Amino acid sequence: MRLLRSIRFNIFLGLLIALAAAVGTLLPQVPEVPEKVSQFHQAHPQWSKLFDFFGLFNIYQSWWFMGMLGLMAFDIIVCKLWNKPPDVGMVALPPEINREEEIERQLSRKEAALKLKPYQALLRSDLPFDDAFGKAEGALKEAGYRLSPEFRGASGGAFVATKHGLQRWGSYIAHIALVVILAGSLVKGLFGFVEMVPVLEGGSRAMQNKPDWEVYVDKFTVRYYEGTRTPKIFSSVMRVQQGDRELGAKTIYVNDPLDIGGVRFYQASWGAGGMFRSVTLKIGAQKLSLPQKKRVKIKGTPFTVEADMMLPNFTIKDGQADTASLDLQNPAVRLSFTAGPHKTSPLWLFENNPELCFVEDENGMLDHAPKPPFQIVAIDPVLFSGIQVAYDPGYRIVLTGAILWLTGIVSLFYLHRRRLWVLVEPDDGQARITLGGWSSRGPKEYEREFQGLVKRLGSSLACSDFQISRNPLLEVS
Amino acid sequence: MNPEIVLIKGTFAFYSVAALLALCYLFSKQERLSLWMLRLMGIGLALHLASFGFRLHAFWQIPENRFFLPINSFFGALSYLALAVAAVFFVIEREYRLGILGAFVLPWTAIGVGAAVIFADPAIAGLVPALQSYWINIHPMVLMTAYAAFGNAFGVGLALLIQEHQIKSRKPSELCYRLPSIEDLDNLNYKIIVAAFPTLTVGILMGGVWAYNAWGRFWGWDAKETWSLITALIYAGYLHMRFVKGLRGRKAVYVSMVGFASVLFTFVGVNFLSELHGYLSNE
Repeated sequence: MRLLRSIRFNIFLGLLIALAAAVGTLLPQVPEVPEKVSQFHQAHPQWSKLFDFFGLFNIYQSWWFMGMLGLMAFDIIVCKLWNKPPDVGMVALPPEINREEEIERQLSRKEAALKLKPYQALLRSDLPFDDAFGKAEGALKEAGYRLSPEFRGASGGAFVATKHGLQRWGSYIAHIALVVILAGSLVKGLFGFVEMVPVLEGGSRAMQNKPDWEVYVDKFTVRYYEGTRTPKIFSSVMRVQQGDRELGAKTIYVNDPLDIGGVRFYQASWGAGGMFRSVTLKIGAQKLSLPQKKRVKIKGTPFTVEADMMLPNFTIKDGQADTASLDLQNPAVRLSFTAGPHKTSPLWLFENNPELCFVEDENGMLDHAPKPPFQIVAIDPVLFSGIQVAYDPGYRIVLTGAILWLTGIVSLFYLHRRRLWVLVEPDDGQARITLGGWSSRGPKEYEREFQGLVKRLGSSLACSDFQISRNPLLEVS
Repeated sequence: MNPEIVLIKGTFAFYSVAALLALCYLFSKQERLSLWMLRLMGIGLALHLASFGFRLHAFWQIPENRFFLPINSFFGALSYLALAVAAVFFVIEREYRLGILGAFVLPWTAIGVGAAVIFADPAIAGLVPALQSYWINIHPMVLMTAYAAFGNAFGVGLALLIQEHQIKSRKPSELCYRLPSIEDLDNLNYKIIVAAFPTLTVGILMGGVWAYNAWGRFWGWDAKETWSLITALIYAGYLHMRFVKGLRGRKAVYVSMVGFASVLFTFVGVNFLSELHGYLSNE
């Protein structure tokens, strides 16, 4: 327990988490790039076994990384319960007490209380005690101080004035915020889900995590910036059905999801699976529109032509036709020509490169073919809309944590707490005021501020003389 | 000629000369040098803002980009970062009047703008749908402003190390009397970090909120996210060592410098690792 409470240990733990996180950005990770992980497996089978054992290909979900985060959260709680920060400002007056002797006792304690204040001032006011007391309170209120219960009796009065008291709690709030954020992430990990639902335009698909929810994409649109392959906008007109009941419907865009009771449907991606409505083939002066897998007669010849397959991003793998991705970057179409009982070997033609042509043999192996006398001039593919469905019940918790963090960190670093201990005593029809001050500000800045405050008090209390001193008993750091 | 490019080259010239003057001022007592450094820096900053204005105008010609800030490209980001370093320097200068710090901070502005001019492509392109969000005006700006402040703190740290070296050496040079005391430099380094650390963390959390709205997850361990967290952890380590363990001076500066190395890696290095945040992945 002592170890867990030690700041040194926790700084070390924090840096260890940082180090592990860094390793995770350098090694391929399964959730991000599974294909690179399998490449690594093939290239270094021995290392891979070791890496797999320690979960280095999935660090952020590995038992030891989660364990470190959990330990950190636990330690933060433990540290904040046990390790109270040194706080010289915390010499408060006890709760409100009205009995005269208690006040006497308080006044006699002034020595002890003042000992703990790094800055002190003694003021002598020409005003009578009651006036001086009221004016001192008024002047400090005006300066933005909050006054804590006052004690007044025949022999004098005292009160504590504070400003930006929240600063004291800043560190607590910020640290608790981190625990809240981690707890929110845990809730997400335990009860949330993320799944990718690719839906062909005009089609539907059932979800894995909610098997009775059917996701429909009635229309998918993608528009590009002119002359580029950079998307300008893409969106899906979508709805979700549970049997006959429509749970929700919306045109979703990136950054604008559909929300059904916390289950959110995001427009994440799109692609071409290989289906198309038609391919336009130019043969001489003729333009033929070929639906998928339908023979079309070529006028003036004995041939019919059929387009049966489309690859969105054509590549050759092991001598055979393949697609590098579902992105329409290099679409290719497979055509075959038939005349009576004779069928030609299938040909691969490219929309972006009319010069190029491959011929495919019965085993699917490709070979270069001379430039054909026909070209593909257009492809009208059926696109699928990649809809990412995410349910994150921890989000509100995380958001609360984020707001807490903001509150805590701002009050910790941008607010400076000031605490004044004020004692007013009657003295021959006049009043003597003793002031002790403490602040979380730097000593130089606060000394200046304290002097200004004393002068201000002095003028509003009609003081004939005042002296300011630094508390010799307290080493100010 | 594109006025934006002319202006940014002018900015580069003024920043470079100002940085040079700052270096000269380090070794000379001529107060005039410091004054001219500030003036040239001011002109450079004005040119920089004007160049940014032209870029904004050109950027907004594409309707989808309208009212978003042009920092999606590496060029725009570097340019803004240098601008922020210069602006933060002016704020520190106004508060502390330590002209001598220019020698440690201003080279960064010249390097930033120079790198943008030489290595980055200034072409303007339409924003991809994920970036068409008001968050692009907030999340990267907040983070890069924090980076700029860390850059200034790095300069202060450098000054501290030199000063410490001077004091420990048998024959301290003139420089020793011209640099502020180790205690002052340490405090300034700390103050800048204390201002930048909350900015950094809040910028990260804002990124989480944006990510939730765009992709459905607050945090995804993307390389940029992860490295920004690493940076935050290192600076958090610095603050704890200082607050609780009372670490000061040289050792504290080393920790903060590791933090700044992490900042640089987050800004530049991660482009080669991250799919989502890479400025270079589109090229």
